[in-house]
Amino acid sequence: MIRVVTLDEFDPIVIKELKKVLFTAFGVGCEHLGPGTVPASMHEPFDAQKLMEAMPKVTAFADDKVLYLTSRKLAPRKLASGEVPTFGLSQYNGQRCIVSTAQVKNLTENVKTVARYAMQELGHTFGLHHCLDPRCSMYAQWTPTYVTGEAIFCVFCREQTEQKIRAAKS
Amino acid sequence: MSESLQLAVGDRVVYPNQGLCTVTGIGSEQIAGQSLVFVSLVFEETKARVKVPQEKLVKNGVRRVSSGDDVKKLFEFLTAEGDKASLDWKKRARDNVARLAGGGLVGLASVVKELQVLSELRALPPKEREQYNDARHLLVTELAAAMGASEADAEDALDAALFPVGKERPKRSVEEFKALLGGEGEDGELGLGDDLLGIDGEGVEAAEPGEAGGDTTVEGEAAGEEEGEEKPKAEEPKKRGRPPKAAKEAKAEKPAPKAALSDVEVTLPQGLPLAPPLPKKRGRPPKAKPVEVVVQAPAETPAPKKRGRPPKAKTAAPAAAPKKRGRPAKAKK
Repeated sequence: MIRVVTLDEFDPIVIKELKKVLFTAFGVGCEHLGPGTVPASMHEPFDAQKLMEAMPKVTAFADDKVLYLTSRKLAPRKLASGEVPTFGLSQYNGQRCIVSTAQVKNLTENVKTVARYAMQELGHTFGLHHCLDPRCSMYAQWTPTYVTGEAIFCVFCREQTEQKIRAAKS
Repeated sequence: MSESLQLAVGDRVVYPNQGLCTVTGIGSEQIAGQSLVFVSLVFEETKARVKVPQEKLVKNGVRRVSSGDDVKKLFEFLTAEGDKASLDWKKRARDNVARLAGGGLVGLASVVKELQVLSELRALPPKEREQYNDARHLLVTELAAAMGASEADAEDALDAALFPVGKERPKRSVEEFKALLGGEGEDGELGLGDDLLGIDGEGVEAAEPGEAGGDTTVEGEAAGEEEGEEKPKAEEPKKRGRPPKAAKEAKAEKPAPKAALSDVEVTLPQGLPLAPPLPKKRGRPPKAKPVEVVVQAPAETPAPKKRGRPPKAKTAAPAAAPKKRGRPAKAKK
């Protein structure tokens, strides 16, 4: 089950559409748990890693995935090979991930773009890595054409996801 | 035994092709009268346990987690020019397996980089796609351990070197590839081995088995066709394979792409729709008409066999009177 926690106010239509896309992509249920509160010590732009760790526990099963959705910005990260923009972050093979919609304009019309970001982060929680196919949601997020793509997985990533979900269920 | 593998409990090591392990114990055991020192390892990902004789650690390729210097070298390697990938699929597969088994951090990175460069030319076949995924997984986990960072940061650091931020991946052509390789693969072999021909069944389906002559491969057939166009036909009487009607059709469809080594297919960049495939012929290939066979070799062809039970041989003896059915009439006394 994918549980969505909104850290800011979102249009219910957006959430409904997002849940629908995630359900279609992963084949597991998706529900909106309700609003969550960002700890007072955190300020925009958020440090995604710290925010994920600081968020209070959510009632969920061990194999459930929790997606935090925020409309505020996430701070870019400085890595060994340079600075990379952060549109979302996840715990690999873990439970939590966070996605920001700050870079998506006109949210109601571009739910698929948000879903694409969410799919990538949720994919990482299932243990998937970045993909080579530009059409796949697991492709590197900072490439210019990423936002124009559809919220889909390539065949390889879809099979991997199904495998992981099956393994988690058994 | 190498000095670098003096392990202690709690050390993290890398087991080739498997990933990170933690040493949970070192102890000696009696096996077949011999006293051997075993190192107990636990795989961090699967929590599987394995005991390896200390003497065989180096032989098996077990090594310590890479250091900070190795990480620096890795990023230098990733950002350096020299995008090179062998076009010979056999050589590539052999090299990649060897690098995965014992290539260290840079060896893993070279597999990832090479396959990524190749994917800019054409989509990877399933086996290589899996190999790429395995290599990337091993690389990311080791990099995360070496950097002391999360896997998400390690993968993003890796990708920031491979896919520069804000830039799209380059789309390569065969010519560019050949130029990079300095002539390797000029014989036209693009590494489109059996595994690649199986992608989506495109290569195999394009050449129908009924038309291919039965015992020739797709590549062989394509080469044969090319040769056939240039050279005069040496062996005229041998008419194998296609019936004349099918040959006419093939001539009519001359501009259609070759079975497997179509330039269109190869040079298409990833992400764009492929060239429209040839229309599939559904059902069985048409059988050669017996009339045509008779025309080709009328003297040799035997008379067509009649199906069913052979007719009874006619005998010269007169036909016996039909048997009367029922009880025979009683003899009159």
